[in-house]
Order: sequence, then structure tokens, then C-alpha cells
Amino acid sequence: MSLEEQVTLFIMIVFPLYLLSFTLYIIRAIRGPTIPDTVLAIDALSFDIAAFLALLSILYRSPILISCAVVLALWVYALDIYVSKYFEARDMGD
Amino acid sequence: MYVNETVVYIGEILVAIGVFCDLAASIGMLRFPNFYVRLHAATVGTIGGAFVPLIGIALIALGAEWLGTYRFFLAGASIITAIIIIILAPVGSHVLARATHKARLVKVEPKVVDHLEEDIKKKEGDKNA
Repeated sequence: MSLEEQVTLFIMIVFPLYLLSFTLYIIRAIRGPTIPDTVLAIDALSFDIAAFLALLSILYRSPILISCAVVLALWVYALDIYVSKYFEARDMGD
Repeated sequence: MYVNETVVYIGEILVAIGVFCDLAASIGMLRFPNFYVRLHAATVGTIGGAFVPLIGIALIALGAEWLGTYRFFLAGASIITAIIIIILAPVGSHVLARATHKARLVKVEPKVVDHLEEDIKKKEGDKNA
């Protein structure tokens, strides 16, 4: 079995495990009792989607997807900062 | 002689470790009782579940001859994403935890002692006195 088929087979095995963990994160994001839970779940989920995109770009043999992973990692950080700034500012806004 | 095979195998091992960490983190996110305890699962999920597989993917991409010149784009971009994640993810979760504690949105449930709370009270005490 050539290296290419072996890597494609490996990625095919890893796919459902990634999708399973994504669904678990999404369940926590939906069910999360408080807002920080949801933000935390989306934070962890998006970083894993960034890794998943890199994996996809290997499978589909095209470098276009990988630029989206870089942007996604940066965007999630901005989400964290923005939400926590909102929590703190509202607290001091009395 | 077998450089490509070994690089790809090392990358695959890293991705396998990453997937395992990812699964453990997502199960942890569901099972843990409180936001503060879930922070552990989230950081395991981001560092173990995103940084480690990205390094593995960079190695796989470097060893993948059939990708041609694309493999260097993939390897470079995934290493950059990995560096971004290793720097930003801890900062993001720390900021979130601090804001949640400050805004008192989540009751500190399994609590033995809350030193941050004591420090805030002490600081407020000094301000009033």
C-alpha cells in the first residue's frame, strides 16, 4: 500500500472521531447553563475545527483551506476577549 | 532513504494523540459539574486537541511527496496556526475565567477555599478603610 493510500486511510479513520468530539462540544455549547460555558465550548470547538481544516486540506490536496484555519484561530481569540471584556465592563458599569 | 515514511508516521502518531486528547476533552466538557472545572477540559481540548495534531499535520504534509509543492504551504501554515494556538488559547481561557469570576456569573461550586475572593475582599477593605 503506497504512502498516499495509507495516509488517506488514516485520515478516513480519524474523521469520525473528530466529528464525534465536535458533536459533544456542540451539545455542551447548546446545553451550557451559563454564558461562559457556551463561550468556552465554542472556543475549544473552533480551535479543533482549525486543526480539522488542516487535516481536510491534506485530504483534498489543496492549500486553500489552510488559510481559513489561521483566521479561525485568531477569530476565536477575539471572541474570548470580547465576551470577557463585556462581562467585566458590565460589572463595573454601575 | 525512508525519510518520508518516518516523517509521515511520526505525524500520524501525533495526530492520533491529538484525537485522543480531543475526545477526552469533549467527554470532559460534558461530564464536569462546573464552569471552572470545565476549564481544565477546554484547555486539554485546545492544546492537546489542536496544537499537537497541527504539528502532526505539518509533519504529514512535509512527508507527503504526492502533494508536490503544496506540502510546504500546508506545513508552514499549520505550524503558524499551531504557534498562534499555543500563544492565544491559554490567554483566551484565562481572560474568560477571570471575567467570569469577577462578574460572579458562576457560583464556585466544589469550593474549598477561594483565595481570589479573599484578595478582592481584602483590597476592597483597604479601599474603604
